Amino acid sequence: MSKSDHEEIQGQNNLPPIDRRKFFRYSAAIVGGLVLGSKTLASARKTAPRTDALNVALLGTGAQGQVLLNSCLKIDGIRITAVCDIWAAYNRRRVSRLLQKYHHEHGVYEDYREMLAEERDLDAVIIATPDFWHAEQTVASLEAGLAVYCEKEMSNTLAGARKMVQAARRTGRLLQIGHQRRSNPRYIHCYEKLIHDAGIFGRFTTVNGQWNRSVQPDLGWPKKATIDSAVLKKYGYDDMHQFRNWRWFKGMGGGPVVDLGSHQIDIYNWFLEARPVSVTAVGGTDYYDPKTHEWYDNVQALYEYSTRNGTVRAFYQVITTNRNGGYFETFMGDMGTLYISEAAGRCSIYREDQAPLWDQWVNKGYLQTPVETAAPTGAVLDVRETLAPPAYSLPFEMNDPYHKPHLENFFDAIRGNAALNCTAEIGYETAVTVLKANQAVAEERKVLFRSTDFKI
Amino acid sequence: MNTAHIRAIGLLLLSVQLLNSTQEAAEEKLVPLEIELPKPMFIGTPQNLRVPNLEKPLGKPRPPFLAPMGTVNLALGRAVTSSDDFPVIGELEMVTDGDKEAPDGSFVELGPFLQQVTIDLGQPCELFAVVVWHYHMQPLVYFDVIIQIATDSTFVNNPVTIYNNDLDNSAALGMGTDNHYVETSEGRLVDAQGTIGRYVRLYSNGNTSNDLNHYIEVEIYGRPVE
Repeated sequence: MSKSDHEEIQGQNNLPPIDRRKFFRYSAAIVGGLVLGSKTLASARKTAPRTDALNVALLGTGAQGQVLLNSCLKIDGIRITAVCDIWAAYNRRRVSRLLQKYHHEHGVYEDYREMLAEERDLDAVIIATPDFWHAEQTVASLEAGLAVYCEKEMSNTLAGARKMVQAARRTGRLLQIGHQRRSNPRYIHCYEKLIHDAGIFGRFTTVNGQWNRSVQPDLGWPKKATIDSAVLKKYGYDDMHQFRNWRWFKGMGGGPVVDLGSHQIDIYNWFLEARPVSVTAVGGTDYYDPKTHEWYDNVQALYEYSTRNGTVRAFYQVITTNRNGGYFETFMGDMGTLYISEAAGRCSIYREDQAPLWDQWVNKGYLQTPVETAAPTGAVLDVRETLAPPAYSLPFEMNDPYHKPHLENFFDAIRGNAALNCTAEIGYETAVTVLKANQAVAEERKVLFRSTDFKI
Repeated sequence: MNTAHIRAIGLLLLSVQLLNSTQEAAEEKLVPLEIELPKPMFIGTPQNLRVPNLEKPLGKPRPPFLAPMGTVNLALGRAVTSSDDFPVIGELEMVTDGDKEAPDGSFVELGPFLQQVTIDLGQPCELFAVVVWHYHMQPLVYFDVIIQIATDSTFVNNPVTIYNNDLDNSAALGMGTDNHYVETSEGRLVDAQGTIGRYVRLYSNGNTSNDLNHYIEVEIYGRPVE
């Protein structure tokens, strides 16, 4: 690893000193803090855009919280001043000690309500708890006057997601939903330059996407770090297994099509500049034990879009028993194809033979010319198959951690220097789109979307 | 006779011993090392892997490694020290506790940037292979993986480097030419070539996902020097 990488990271510690009275305050039960009403608390918060370091709380220190935290640690001017999680003996300890390594003084909490009451200098909260907690925690944080970055899915229910949008509007606070591809420079380039400006793909007719994963065992836990059953019950879990594997349980998460598909189906809506008019889907819990995997372990969904250029049919598949092909989205138009994935090494752009040449877009820096590869000696033309067209590529790479640009966009928005790339309204539209796929599977029918479904 | 002379003689003796042991090893019957592997386990979304000098995955099990009959894992249960004595999570004992599985509770996570763990084998040993599992729950690549063997705990007296992929000498231990590689449940086997030593030290300097350093298990195959 180059030294410059480290110096850049270490440089972020040149933050203004913290005027705080605490260092690792392990708080007890909720006391007087909650007596202070949310309106009072909100008015006590700063309302003007900040130009100095931002004080940020991390609510949820599990795997996703740690991914977001590691990106935050690489962003200048971000101070993690509070962490909150109910798993004190493992994930919360892990994150707390990590923050000590980076010299971020912080308070530590089990209950987010106590954190909001106690932490008076916060600017923002990053929420990475299980989906069924998102609505309550987001609404409370917004009402406490804070900007919120909430992981997708914004809620496991549309009622919950609606409350989040309404709270953002009511409080006037920022709410960014964690569909991080919306801030990924590669995706932004494809949308703004290739689709919007150049229109090189012509009329989209078909979309195909997937996220295929290998069989994975249930998540376990170090037995000595087992959470007390009373604490688990208090926060909505039957037991430790359910706490660790909440994504599979109805009433807590949305299953793989929501966990994984949500990111990609969000891109369908974005790139097609439309919302679907129907979804047909099949799926089931066919491989895993349905007692512990209540959500479908595979879903195949077919969305229909009515775009301004005509009908588009968009297929999406998620399976959890085989990783073949990994994850990607393919947008097929009558002039070309965009094959893209969040994995930076995977993006190919193909021109249909009848399409105008793309030289001008190469010259403008929108595309990179295909790398010519020498044909193998003795190769023969196989007439049974269409020849693979040359693959154009994007003119740049994105080597940052995937979530860093989206977090940067959020922090820039707090400082008044940017607009959010994934507002509550966008997140809500995606939630409607994705959650209806589960409904279509459950009801074994084609589910129609009304335009009012996407409105609040 | 000054210190330099003593050191030179010591080195000569060590070299002769090494030569002899290497020759003996060559003459001995070699058998495949039996390494018990943990369950493969990749979970979550891998982060971008844009790493120079990255070894292409073999796509099949590692070929058997031959070592003299009687070679055993000398590291099991041995004391471990580290540059980070306040791990982010886990305990240093996990490095040699025999648990090679990937889930939470099976690994120690050390702080950011360059860190090392050192295993004391208790006595000089003839070493044939070091196998390290940093973390195989995600396809990560660790930077500045350097493995050294020494006869002294300070690693001052001519430590032998058996692996080094620090391409830019950012760890200041010398530039390495070995490959970066993707972590898997097979671990990384490094040929120790019969090196004599009591202490084995493993460095790393963050990974493709974050700046932290992880160890699930380290096995050191060899036999005590009689």
